[in-house]
Amino acid sequence: MIRRSGAAAALSAAAIAILAAACSAPGSSSGGSGGSGSGGSTGAASGPIKIAVVDAQSGSSSDLGQFEWRGVKLAVDQVNKAGGIDGRKIQLTLFDDQGDPTVGTELARKIASEGFTAMLGTAESSVTLAMAPILQAEHIPNITSGQSTKLLKLGSPYLFLNGPTGLTYDSTLAKYLVQTKGYKKFALLTNNDSYGAGEDSAFTSSLKSLGITPVAAEVVPADQTNMTPQLNTIRSRNPQVLFIGAEEAQSGLTVKQARSLGMTAVIAEGAPAGTPLFLSTAGVANADGTIVSSPYLGNGVDAASKAFAAAYTAAYGTAPELHGAKAYDGAEVMISALKACHACTGLALASAVRAVHRTGLLGTFAYDSQGVGIFSTSIGIIKNGTIEPVSS
Amino acid sequence: MQSFFQTLVSGLSFGAVYSLIALGFSLVYRTMGLVNFAHGAVLMTGAYLASTFYLSARLPFAVAVPAAVLATGVVGLLIERVLRPLESKDVDLMLIGTIGAGTVLEAVAILIWTSSGRGVPSPVRAAPLDVGGVRIPVYNLVVIAVAAVTMVLLTLFLQRTKRGAAMQAVAMDPEAATAVGIHVGRSNAVAFAIGAGLAALAGSLASPMLFVSPTMGDSLGIQGFAAAILGGFGSIPGAIVGGLGIGVIGSFAAQWFQGYSDLVTFVVFTVLVMVRPTGVFGEKTVNRA
Repeated sequence: MIRRSGAAAALSAAAIAILAAACSAPGSSSGGSGGSGSGGSTGAASGPIKIAVVDAQSGSSSDLGQFEWRGVKLAVDQVNKAGGIDGRKIQLTLFDDQGDPTVGTELARKIASEGFTAMLGTAESSVTLAMAPILQAEHIPNITSGQSTKLLKLGSPYLFLNGPTGLTYDSTLAKYLVQTKGYKKFALLTNNDSYGAGEDSAFTSSLKSLGITPVAAEVVPADQTNMTPQLNTIRSRNPQVLFIGAEEAQSGLTVKQARSLGMTAVIAEGAPAGTPLFLSTAGVANADGTIVSSPYLGNGVDAASKAFAAAYTAAYGTAPELHGAKAYDGAEVMISALKACHACTGLALASAVRAVHRTGLLGTFAYDSQGVGIFSTSIGIIKNGTIEPVSS
Repeated sequence: MQSFFQTLVSGLSFGAVYSLIALGFSLVYRTMGLVNFAHGAVLMTGAYLASTFYLSARLPFAVAVPAAVLATGVVGLLIERVLRPLESKDVDLMLIGTIGAGTVLEAVAILIWTSSGRGVPSPVRAAPLDVGGVRIPVYNLVVIAVAAVTMVLLTLFLQRTKRGAAMQAVAMDPEAATAVGIHVGRSNAVAFAIGAGLAALAGSLASPMLFVSPTMGDSLGIQGFAAAILGGFGSIPGAIVGGLGIGVIGSFAAQWFQGYSDLVTFVVFTVLVMVRPTGVFGEKTVNRA
């Protein structure tokens, strides 16, 4: 009995020691880019500047993660090829968050403990929402591709968006559909994760501001694959427009199932509708006529997007889309900030990001106090599998 | 009322798929006393093979599906052959072996087809039928018909053929079956192959309605497993009834409870199983586990 108690005490002591080690400030270890006190360093460190890229590389969101990684890598390869920042190269490390917030929190601690200067990603608001408090506590600036307005409510001075918020996407879309096209009967189908809930809230409030109340607002679980029960309810209300607020695969599936039920309502959606995954899931014919709100309508809109598309295609053998462009812009913002503050870290780097004013692929970045730098989108329509800007 | 029937049609379409999945679970269980946790991954493999034959090899869908069923049946045989040495030791080891086999299949699928999923266009382009305002996608009718024919054929196989009778005998008493000259290992292999074929058929038929990805077998596998338990694990008619039941419950739960549909479906399932632990058709012949 005594021996058992002794063993238990020894095990408990070992467990406490391990826990204590695990809980000790992981960001305190100095990596390639130096320490990370709340004031930040001003770039005296040497060696490569370590930047973590966190995006899903497996699971249903892996397409997004791959687009993001390619966009970031292209920007960093370009700056490294040009000599780096103050003679230091940027070293990217890719982490797979599997689109899972729990994995994201584990990665946030890992990034902090391994001394990364900054983080780019994730592609999903729900994962960023889980990681942001840890990154804030560890003073690691993060430029995310998430667009949920919930990100702004965190109030983290270290968190920045590389595109507009969902509200911007949806208010632009709602105005176009109501004021330009004259539609009055709207139905919403959104999922119940952070992105879907944000879209539901943003589009509903945008419609409300225009004096419209949706005839139906259905919610599906984020992993649901059979949306026909909710679509049946929507069909019975006979809407002119079906707004979808879900990630790419689920959105595509919704369009496919809506059309298989004979629904002819105009499909309207934010960024997911412009992606190859959406098109392949929905089918090109089913996706035809979908109205898209996006800050990046295609690769041939202007000289900058043409140059980006050429470089991206040369590097990866495939054409870029919105997510690659967003990630490229986010990386460019981070690079501009690092250049401006001579590879500083912590709050100094966050302040440098906030001070960046540059014109990118998505528009001109000018960050506000909430970490939003882009405030407009454009409206496009899908025709034969590609997005074309609408004439008005 | 129109909305009720519309939801019912949707539930029956997906229920037919769940029935096929449940049949595979039940067939292996009644023959070997084993819950095959690789079943969802086998389904995913079948769906990928069918979509590859259909989209890449440009075979007609009606040819791609049987080809995928046969190829996946071979995969089932391989899994059974790998796990066979464990059967004589402990069925729990075999069960863990099926979890491992499922993980391997998912990893192989990612290696071959990458982790990005793929959409499969519907092979039936006809406009949905309109029956009193209820829209019925023609492809859904095809799915229900194929599932029904398969269930009839499987029942006939088990009841009218020598091999089927041998499998029934192994299910009831493997020692006695061995004593009368039935090769238990061969029966097990056939059960695994047919189970895999049924999973592949379910996955192939579901792909144009859903989205083929390395994780597609996870949720479908759980639904099929729940269907098998609801109907009575090991029971062939039970698998059919359980599949349709889970499909219809899920469909109405989705319509009435929206974001909480999964929660409601499995609460209803739990209550039903608590009331009748052996399922609708509690199978008395299965006692090998």
